Amino acid sequence: MESALAPLDCLLPAGNLKFCLLILNQPINKGHFHCLWSKAALRACADGGANRLYHVTEGSQDSFLPDYISGDFDSIQPEVKEYYKVKVDVIVTLGGLEGRFDHIMASVNTLFHATKITPLPVIVIQECSLIYLLQPGKHKLHVDTGLEGDWCGLIPVGNPCESVTTTGLKWNLTNQMLKFGTLVSTSNTYDNSGIVTIETDKPLLWTMSIKI
Amino acid sequence: MESALAPLDCLLPAGNLKFCLLILNQPINKGHFHCLWSKAALRACADGGANRLYHVTEGSQDSFLPDYISGDFDSIQPEVKEYYKVKGCELIETMDQDLTDFTKCLQILQKKIEKKGLQVDVIVTLGGLEGRFDHIMASVNTLFHATKITPLPVIVIQECSLIYLLQPGKHKLHVDTGLEGDWCGLIPVGNPCESVTTTGLKWNLNT
Repeated sequence: MESALAPLDCLLPAGNLKFCLLILNQPINKGHFHCLWSKAALRACADGGANRLYHVTEGSQDSFLPDYISGDFDSIQPEVKEYYKVKVDVIVTLGGLEGRFDHIMASVNTLFHATKITPLPVIVIQECSLIYLLQPGKHKLHVDTGLEGDWCGLIPVGNPCESVTTTGLKWNLTNQMLKFGTLVSTSNTYDNSGIVTIETDKPLLWTMSIKI
Repeated sequence: MESALAPLDCLLPAGNLKFCLLILNQPINKGHFHCLWSKAALRACADGGANRLYHVTEGSQDSFLPDYISGDFDSIQPEVKEYYKVKGCELIETMDQDLTDFTKCLQILQKKIEKKGLQVDVIVTLGGLEGRFDHIMASVNTLFHATKITPLPVIVIQECSLIYLLQPGKHKLHVDTGLEGDWCGLIPVGNPCESVTTTGLKWNLNT
């Protein structure tokens, strides 16, 4: 069987081939780099390749973030690893809150599973609604982006919460139980302090509106 | 105790179940609407549900007058409220802010069913499963409250979804109306269920 390839097509600004880029731990040629980076579908670094990426993009590293960095991490510099690590703060999901009711519930269920999948917070957004599952403990939500709509709520989906305490809401809770059939906080709103704190003893779903 | 219900019977033109209709503030599917309206023993709107009724019956609103409209009236459009008021529909203002318009409407519905001595098998709610997430959850919560409000089963329908809260015990659901779509599910919303057993599903549960 005959194969065909234009090996240097990837270095052509107007090249046709679709490619992924993998950066190893060697000095990076700037010319190659910028052309390849701009056209790559996925961009990865193998261990110390991240050091090379960090240095060749000095001054604007945040415009050149790899899709992932893998390796045994014995070459990546600690400050480089830290830099790229802190660049992912949250996973944002678009969709999942409308349409088939069983699918909406499945989205909520995935947030419960997510705690075993990733340490990152996972939020789900669709149209004017956002949901975010709060684990047991204390939480501070900054709600002063200017994009907050006029409603919010706390939904004990999946389990009752014996003791919930909040600040920053119009209708706050103090060691109160949230439970379907007893009390579910919907159509709540903010007290204009810009911060909402929530303390809960069990997983509790935060929901809020987005101005659209 | 065992209960039995054909949840989609209310959507069959020749269905057997007697039901009351409660309309919430969500876009109304015309197909659902006409079938449900024609067979309902009582018809109510919860606040902005009246706007939805007004719009889906455009041009012939006076042939589709609800028995009552209840709520805190912060969603109903003034001209819609005026229209139904002039036509003689009962407007019941319910100011309690701890309960949703849906829950309060359900309370009134049960009282009217009792007062009129109506023979009713199920309460059908239109809307409540789309839009604001907190409202969807509030609809589910109302199903929990409903057990203290009415002995009747309460189902909620919007577009292609239906929900119905099963109390502890055994339940038989007749799913052979021909209107059943291709998916169904069991959602432990509000609390884990330690022991669930089913038959009739592709993937049954068995303790």
